[in-house]
Amino acid sequence: MLSVKGLKANVGEKEILKGLDLDIGPGEVHAIMGPNGSGKSTFAHVLSGREGYQVTGGSVDFDGRDLLALEPEERAHAGLFLAFQYPVELPGVNNTYFLKAALNAIRKSRGEEELDAVSFMRLMREKLKILHLDDSLLKRPVNYGFSGGEKKRNEIFQMALLEPRLAILDETDSGLDIDALRIVADGVNALRNPERSMIVVTHYQRLLDYIEPDQVHVLARGRIIRSGGKDLALELEERGYGWILEEGAAA
Amino acid sequence: MSAGEVTQFEQWLGAPATVEGIGWLDDERRVALDRARALGIPVSKQEAWRYTSVKRLAEQGFVPVDESVTALQPEDIEEVLIQGLDSHRVVLVNGRYLPALSSLGDLPAGVRIGGLRQILASDPDALRGHLNRVAGDRQPLFSALNTAGLDDGLVVLMGPGSMLERPIELIHLSVGMDEPRVAQPRHLVVLDDGAQARLIERHVSLGQSIYCTNSVLELSLGADAVLEHQRIQDESPNAFHITGLYLRQGRGSSYRGVNLGLGAAWARTDLVVRFAGEHAECDLSGLYLAGERQLMDYHLDVDHRLPSCTSRETFKGILYGKGRAVFDGRVFVAEDAQKTDAAMSNKNLLLSEGAEVDTKPQLLINADDVKCSHGTTVGQIEPEMLFYLRSRGISAAVARRMLCLGFAGEILDRMRPDALREQVTDLVGRRLERAPLD
Repeated sequence: MLSVKGLKANVGEKEILKGLDLDIGPGEVHAIMGPNGSGKSTFAHVLSGREGYQVTGGSVDFDGRDLLALEPEERAHAGLFLAFQYPVELPGVNNTYFLKAALNAIRKSRGEEELDAVSFMRLMREKLKILHLDDSLLKRPVNYGFSGGEKKRNEIFQMALLEPRLAILDETDSGLDIDALRIVADGVNALRNPERSMIVVTHYQRLLDYIEPDQVHVLARGRIIRSGGKDLALELEERGYGWILEEGAAA
Repeated sequence: MSAGEVTQFEQWLGAPATVEGIGWLDDERRVALDRARALGIPVSKQEAWRYTSVKRLAEQGFVPVDESVTALQPEDIEEVLIQGLDSHRVVLVNGRYLPALSSLGDLPAGVRIGGLRQILASDPDALRGHLNRVAGDRQPLFSALNTAGLDDGLVVLMGPGSMLERPIELIHLSVGMDEPRVAQPRHLVVLDDGAQARLIERHVSLGQSIYCTNSVLELSLGADAVLEHQRIQDESPNAFHITGLYLRQGRGSSYRGVNLGLGAAWARTDLVVRFAGEHAECDLSGLYLAGERQLMDYHLDVDHRLPSCTSRETFKGILYGKGRAVFDGRVFVAEDAQKTDAAMSNKNLLLSEGAEVDTKPQLLINADDVKCSHGTTVGQIEPEMLFYLRSRGISAAVARRMLCLGFAGEILDRMRPDALREQVTDLVGRRLERAPLD
């Protein structure tokens, strides 16, 4: 489903990704771990098409399409979803209006009919339950004045609504207390299915106690230096990143 | 140009069938004409005209409207009506009150609504002591010209404690003529002590012709009177629009005004507020859009002479293409005006390189026990916000429009009732749709 080969990217003059390789099959959940500054968030942003990153080499194939050639909205239409580490506040933009615009834009791109107001509200109520979200959030401006936990849940709520093929969760666990983390993880797990793949970007192992990955990759100095099963995450938890970085440097 | 040379604009005077021969009123007109001549044509050396040239306006050679629009039928104006808005409707066409197009409905005791010319002809004494009193004797050129040619407009007289449940809707419709015409409507709204009303004032046009509207509104609020006032300027894209709004507020009165500036090629608005009693509250807000080669020029002059009054000035602008705006907000707090509470803000969103805004909020404070603040911003759409929306599948053009409407929402949400808010929100959305947003 997703095949990343030799991906290189700069932020300004600085090379952050230095030849990253990753293959993800349908329904698989891959965790990407690594120390701060290793390029985890850059990778997530490059996949989603954010400005300010220059891809200098490599390729990203998404369901047979050249992902890097697409505009951010076209990537969303193709089934990509990024759950932001820091969801953006949009003062004055009503959450319901935003969600409806997003869902209908994606439906339209798939050749599906736009949802009318009634079917849309029904769908939203159904999805809200998954995230234990209060429907008062729908009447407020997008993320504006939301607590940290509400923002993260609103991200996963959007994911539930937009039903992506590939979801990238960028440090979704950061800033969440244990209860909020459990709610978010339950929401993510409810959305797992054999057709939907996920990339879980995280610094800590604790999220992976709740979202069990098929594979764990360690990203350091712009490359994946080690891949393994979920045991690798536990080992990182126990021993830290130091040993693996040394091995990586030695290799 | 020097004082005395207002000949281009003196052509605006002499509308046919003006009611004359009322001694006190003829005096007011004469004094105003002398003042206009003494003021002369505004030049950029004057602070109030620093960023705005009247050259384009002077070149047009506007002449007063004639009477030929009286043939309009009610069905001709249907397209400018707002569905679901239940109002006491007063329709003026090219500055003339047309009873046949208006529907005043039943009015409670103590409330009088009508045309200025009509009332001057039948009962001029009802207006004596009100007309031209709020605007005062220091009117700037265009208001003085309006007074010198004082002719027709809306009159609302509300007795003590009277109240209207439905809003008064003033529709000023401009219909293009063969020659470029100027209309100088003059409106007077007097709310006696404790009276309450809502006024919706809409400037609209049929067609895209060149014309000029030079209007003056005098609003007089007695003690504890309450007026909600929504103004929508959606003139023809080739029109010139001038408003002088003069507000006098008695003790404990409350005024809440929302100004929406969308149309006209060149628009100048002066909002002048005077407190005549303590504990009065004045809330002025506005949203302006300027694109193409439009100019939106706002001047606020809020004078806190007396203690314990509150004023809010909240204006937002969206500029695109080669659009230009001027915001010159002046709040003066006199030495004795202790406990004044004033807050002014002007925020602008620039969507193109060619757009420009000159913003100058000024607080002149001479009292020491006051709460006053002001702030100005000029910015672009945040790339982060744009990316967030696009990452959810929303196209860049739609995302920009959503963010602009979000920015405008703070002002648009003040529009009442719902039918009007929906109509203007839709109007702003469509205007932004046409705007080249980069």
